[in-house]
Amino acid sequence: MTRRGFLGCTLGASAAFGAASPLFVERPASETGLVWTHDNAMSDAHYLPETLGPGCAFLDYDNDGWMDIYLVNSGPADFFKPAKPLRNALYRNNRDGTFTDVTDKAGVAGGTNFGMGVAVGDFDNDGWPDLFVTGYGNCILYKNNRDGTFTDVTRKAGLECPGWTTSAVWFDYDNDGKLDLFVCSFVAYGPGDRRACGVNKLGKGFYCIPRFFKPTASFLFHNNGDGTFTQKSAGTDIAKSMGKGLGVVAADINNDGLMDLFVANDTVQNFLYANRGNGRFEDISLPAEVAFSEGGQPRSGMGVDAADVFGSGFQDLFVANVDQEMFSLYRNQKNETFRDAAHANGVAQSTRLLSGWGLKFFDYDNDGALDLILANGHPDDMIESYSPAVKHKEPLLLFHQEDGKLRDVSKTAGPVFDNSYAARGLAVGDFNNDGRLDVLIGVNGGPPVLLENRSGEGNRWLGLKLQGVNCNRDAIGAKIRWAAGGVVRSRMKNGGGSYLSSHDPREVLGIGKAEKIDWVEIVWPKPSGKVQRIQNPPLGRYITVQEP
Amino acid sequence: MVLAQSPEAEDLLKQAIQLHQSGQVAAAIPFYEKYLSQKPESPLALSNLGAAYARSARYKDAIAQYTKALKLQPGNVPVEMNLGLAYYKAGQIAEAAARFEKVHKAMPAETQPLLLLADCLLRLGKYSQVDTLLTPVFRNRPDDRAVAYLLGTALIRDQKTERGQTVIDRILRDGDSAEARLLLGVTKLNAHEYPAALEDLRKAVELNPKLPDVYAYYGQALQSTGDPAAAADAYRKALEADPMQFQANLELGVLLKDEQKYDLAIEHLQRALQLRPGHLDGRYQVAAIELQRGRADVARQQLERIVKEAPGFTAAHVTLATAYYRLQRKADGDRERAIVQKLTAETQAKQQKGINIK
Repeated sequence: MTRRGFLGCTLGASAAFGAASPLFVERPASETGLVWTHDNAMSDAHYLPETLGPGCAFLDYDNDGWMDIYLVNSGPADFFKPAKPLRNALYRNNRDGTFTDVTDKAGVAGGTNFGMGVAVGDFDNDGWPDLFVTGYGNCILYKNNRDGTFTDVTRKAGLECPGWTTSAVWFDYDNDGKLDLFVCSFVAYGPGDRRACGVNKLGKGFYCIPRFFKPTASFLFHNNGDGTFTQKSAGTDIAKSMGKGLGVVAADINNDGLMDLFVANDTVQNFLYANRGNGRFEDISLPAEVAFSEGGQPRSGMGVDAADVFGSGFQDLFVANVDQEMFSLYRNQKNETFRDAAHANGVAQSTRLLSGWGLKFFDYDNDGALDLILANGHPDDMIESYSPAVKHKEPLLLFHQEDGKLRDVSKTAGPVFDNSYAARGLAVGDFNNDGRLDVLIGVNGGPPVLLENRSGEGNRWLGLKLQGVNCNRDAIGAKIRWAAGGVVRSRMKNGGGSYLSSHDPREVLGIGKAEKIDWVEIVWPKPSGKVQRIQNPPLGRYITVQEP
Repeated sequence: MVLAQSPEAEDLLKQAIQLHQSGQVAAAIPFYEKYLSQKPESPLALSNLGAAYARSARYKDAIAQYTKALKLQPGNVPVEMNLGLAYYKAGQIAEAAARFEKVHKAMPAETQPLLLLADCLLRLGKYSQVDTLLTPVFRNRPDDRAVAYLLGTALIRDQKTERGQTVIDRILRDGDSAEARLLLGVTKLNAHEYPAALEDLRKAVELNPKLPDVYAYYGQALQSTGDPAAAADAYRKALEADPMQFQANLELGVLLKDEQKYDLAIEHLQRALQLRPGHLDGRYQVAAIELQRGRADVARQQLERIVKEAPGFTAAHVTLATAYYRLQRKADGDRERAIVQKLTAETQAKQQKGINIK
């Protein structure tokens, strides 16, 4: 064999091997112990809440430095009486790739509502994550007792959110150092509001399109700092905006130091609440060009996220919509307006036939640039009868950022991306502490899917657990900059995002093949607003950084 | 007084006619042109040159010659017919319809101008006029499939489903045909029975892919059943057969706009608007593209006219508000936004009274 022939064979084999190496692999329940299954309560009547759950979360409830998992189930409602008790699930991370169900001991099984989603946040700044569970019927606030158990403090906290709540976000809107709470309200779905949408051509009942239900106003609760909350929506644009909220993310879209809110609504326009200070939120969604499609139509917004995707120093926005509408990637123009860049990044083309829910911008291969994962599935289980090109169960999508553009790499990301799911919630977190962010997906009517990240071999990273002292303990709103290999990157620690779900609160800073991080700078959220710089931090591990 | 014709000019005309009659149309044209440079008021030469241009697909030139000929000989029915055909082929359907109408009035028993007039009216969306024109004809000639097909199409597009069904039944008596399948498919599209419409239209395409409009409706069925890529292909096939097919131009324009292929989208939308200049959605799509291309003031002007004509057109108000905001006209933007909110609330109230439709 000639030298050229030998090299050709070697390179060919290498390319083939590279193509076959999955970026993510599914970890089956038989290995992980995550044997819980979502009960979507599907009925012949096709009640709408059946098709919208479930959410999921990565959280470290016992503060052992390993991500645990929380999963939300349906439950009793005026339209559903479960044959056997249904429960949410808390799984403790055994630090060996397996999990143990600790739900009953922890006292977080729910069972009092038709559960939807979960938002994790340390509302009492004690350093232990608390749980807020949304759903149809009521919401639940579980306070972490710091001993592996939780207490339902909903009533004591004054958190009343009747109706049907979906995604929620913890964030400090008034920079008083305490996490406030925004809760998306979906549609009016009480027995008097509910409607049967008839029988379709197949002789079956079907899920009503949300367009046919009355919109509702979402909730904004101010944290009083004494374990109680006060609803503060009244008089604001939040109370005036009648929406059908499914997804929310808190981010500072204009870099004024105040956290704004972006809400994805289903079949009505999205809302972008600019935080003007003193508790005033102004809906600027229409002038900002994120309310409607470019054709002037409201879309069916479900999942959302915000991130400085392209390194402009400003937060871009993302919305996952229903099939035919294509998902939106709104590029921040730095003047409180946005332009949809979904086409320029191949996102629109890849999502034309998909309906998206959970999603997250994250640097899956630690090369320093943000990538994107999308969980999809059509809400209507009979969609294939009406629209043969659209499927009820849909594949996940993975985009990799290259040269400032996103590229759909799903087809080469591993066999799991060939599968189809009725995916809903999605949370990103590093369950095995290897610095590569893994993915958890809530599946409607099925077991959760845990994807282990195998990508980015050889890329270096640093994990940060930020611990606020004057600011909110979770440091939501912190800005992180880091320099490595002659490149300075930045990231904001946003609140919420995705759909019904909560991510690992730690930030992983990827630097690719750079040898070291020269410095990390943290601008802590107000009230302190302190700037902290760490020179030559260690690599390949998580460190806790406390606000000075 | 008739002046004697110069022998040179007469030779030119003679040669032109000989070439024309022997099928050498391109060669005949310069002889006609030269003859007309000497004798510009010859109706025969003008008409013949028009025909030669039309044979060479130079429809605008043909129209100019036929128009001059008609000025010299008003009411010349064959020239009127040829002018109508030239307009028709140039995609100027409204002008074609006006000419065919004149011919039809002059020769009511002739089938060709009648059918061409009906076809033009269909393409212009004037369905009730087709109904008026063809219903008496259908009564007298129920076995005329062309009449039945055109009338059935007009009735179904005009949502006169029951009467349309009668006409379809008449066509179905002759067995399965592309025409019948197309009409059934369109009926089902109108009734939002998309998968069933898709089946009929797929069959119609199989039976006769050259049937006018068949690919345009097949495209609509594909789009309605969630396959925009296949729909775009179908629209392109419709436009290969008839570059001036209204629906295919409009729908393909919108799909291309969604893909941000604005230049191509505008091309198709403008062709659609050439057929139906007042079509609101077509005009709105063009305005929305202007905004996306950064021409906010052009878009504003177009949108202001649209919302004046259609004050309940919510999407147009949304886009107009956006144009105002981009032009830093906040007060105007806020005013439009308030209209959007009002219209949205009204729409929601109506939707919540209605039932879900699939």
